Amino acid sequence: MAKQDKPGHVTRRGWSGTTVRAVATSAVVLLAVAACGSKPSDNAGSGNSKDPIVVGISLPLTGDFSQPGGEARKGYEIWRDQVNAAGGLLGRQVELKITDDASNQDTVVTDYTKLITQDNVDLLLGTFSTLLNFPASAVAEKNGMLYVEPAGGAPKMFDRGFKKLFFAQQATAQHQPDVFVDYIKGLPENERPKTAAYPTQDDPFTTPVIESMQKQLEDLGVQTVYTTTYPADATNFQTIASAIAAAKPDLIAQGAVFEDGVGLVRSLQQLNYSPKMLFQTSAPSNASQYSDGIGKANTEGVFYTVSWNEKATTPNNDTFVAEYAKRFDGGIPAEDAADAYAAAQVVQAAVEAVGSLDQDKLAEWLHGNKVETILGSLAWDETGAPTSDFLLAQWQKGAPEIVAPKDAATVTTVVSKTPWE
Amino acid sequence: MTQLVQALVLGLLIGGVYALMASGLTLIFGVMNIINVAHGALLILVAFITWKIWSLTGVDPILLAVVMTPLMFGFGWLLYKGVLSRISGSSPGMSVLLTFGIAITIEGVLNVTAGNKFRSATPSYFSESYRVLGISLPKAQVYGCLAAVLVLGLLYVVLARTWTGRAIRATAQNSSGAALVGIQASAVAALAFAIGTATTGVGGSILSVLYPFFPASHYDWISRLLGIIVLGGMGSLAGALIGALILGLAETLTATYGSLQWSTLIFYAVILVVLLFRPQGLFGSRLRQDVMA
Repeated sequence: MAKQDKPGHVTRRGWSGTTVRAVATSAVVLLAVAACGSKPSDNAGSGNSKDPIVVGISLPLTGDFSQPGGEARKGYEIWRDQVNAAGGLLGRQVELKITDDASNQDTVVTDYTKLITQDNVDLLLGTFSTLLNFPASAVAEKNGMLYVEPAGGAPKMFDRGFKKLFFAQQATAQHQPDVFVDYIKGLPENERPKTAAYPTQDDPFTTPVIESMQKQLEDLGVQTVYTTTYPADATNFQTIASAIAAAKPDLIAQGAVFEDGVGLVRSLQQLNYSPKMLFQTSAPSNASQYSDGIGKANTEGVFYTVSWNEKATTPNNDTFVAEYAKRFDGGIPAEDAADAYAAAQVVQAAVEAVGSLDQDKLAEWLHGNKVETILGSLAWDETGAPTSDFLLAQWQKGAPEIVAPKDAATVTTVVSKTPWE
Repeated sequence: MTQLVQALVLGLLIGGVYALMASGLTLIFGVMNIINVAHGALLILVAFITWKIWSLTGVDPILLAVVMTPLMFGFGWLLYKGVLSRISGSSPGMSVLLTFGIAITIEGVLNVTAGNKFRSATPSYFSESYRVLGISLPKAQVYGCLAAVLVLGLLYVVLARTWTGRAIRATAQNSSGAALVGIQASAVAALAFAIGTATTGVGGSILSVLYPFFPASHYDWISRLLGIIVLGGMGSLAGALIGALILGLAETLTATYGSLQWSTLIFYAVILVVLLFRPQGLFGSRLRQDVMA
């Protein structure tokens, strides 16, 4: 290996260029796979009925999904404290065992396997993103454990015939745009968009939403003038914006996670092309981070779909919002925190109804019953896919409002999009 | 035609900024054989500080580079003296481990102090463009690229025209030879590391305006920057510039004439082909060890 010129001292060029390049290239790979070790575990038994009920969770607390992962943790912890304050679950206190999977698929599998087989946890709760929930739910299913996930609505989650997987949001990805399409259907013929552009990130949660929307709108007679898919690490959107501006669509519907949503809007502003309607999947749900990114005045009229709203009058929502504000400097919960809280509510409802921790019975009960959560009423088909509708939200006067469906709406009017400032 | 020119111009503007970000990385490698995986994290650190100062005072973020650059120079010097000098002479693999640790530390500190949220500085011009003959030149991108060119030019002059620069280059070419003629290797190493880190002062300020970022964003940036310097030839400044321009053009041209989805693949395909024919990268020098290895 190293060529040494004098004993004990490796010269700077002592390492061959090939070795160095190999190391440099593998550094990239290392970054991708480097995972923080899982936390040391004390063996939490579950035998005694006086012992706390241990809920095992692995979350992306570091890495790419650290943002939703951190929010999910907040949601789970608020739920735990509220349940314990009210006397616990089945008269036992609830304890969360949360490990960090570093946004890594291999680690999440190891984590859940360890939680189930070594830590013998009593219940599981899901992790974040389809990427991580896909392998994690398979571990749970194989071990006969109920797996309620707060995120992970890609269609491929539900075509595996799993019996114990439940998605604790209103609808899967391909039904997410239904509420927006219904809104367009309700418009008078001459107010509907005639042309549309569909840029989307290559992400299991955005692509099915945008593909489904394109199909539904084409059936309505909206002509598609531009489509493109870009990778998750794309940072420069000027070229896409130029192409869209040249195609002059009435509607731009973007499958945007976050940075890409802000990036495209900024690039459209630089070209001074403002569509009549703008829809983005999840970027606009990031409250002030979104309005700071594109400028508050430019948010007016932007549509998006969302699973939860802070003003909703659903059970426990007010106490959840208040508790979150108390703990985090008056902050408004992120949607991800609310989704996690709702997933925990689903498990809680099942345990209370069944009266035991029998995983088969819990899953059986959830297949047959509705659960009231802070997201609203949730029910599932035999694959664990939910069967309700998302909320349609719109930015109005610098704040997000719910405009449809009617029973969840926070305002009665829908505004039209204003040109960029 | 306009479309092609637009894509080329944008590609070059983007590439200029990439080049600046990669220049410090390649310099540090060239002199010390340290693969500074923390380079991306340092960029994000600067972006956060710049964003914070901008949001509190309203001072132009790109202009703040004037403050951030000397700060990062000092930080780099301390980092080298305090931490990295301890592994001088070890394998590059060791430097990857150590700097990866630094990157995670910076990410963690930012998570706790700045919060795990997306930020982006939005000075008044962030959404405006210059228009020249039907070509649109986003102002932020133009200013960012100008600042990058300025710093790269300065770096070139320092390396090529000053005795300090000659000492740095001499150490990079042959450290034993440099030591023989009286160059103090450890001082030069600290200086080169400090200069390399100082470039993140400008790079990070520009990043804060051009791209939304959050603490874990550094993973995206470091892999992109490592790709650039492997293509250009590790340790070569000219290589970093050319590598960066190729990446910038690959992004805009594939997005214009194909789909952005392919741009990463095209860029790495270019790297693969170049390495097949020039294993040392475009501008990398072929060393005795390469032939013997």
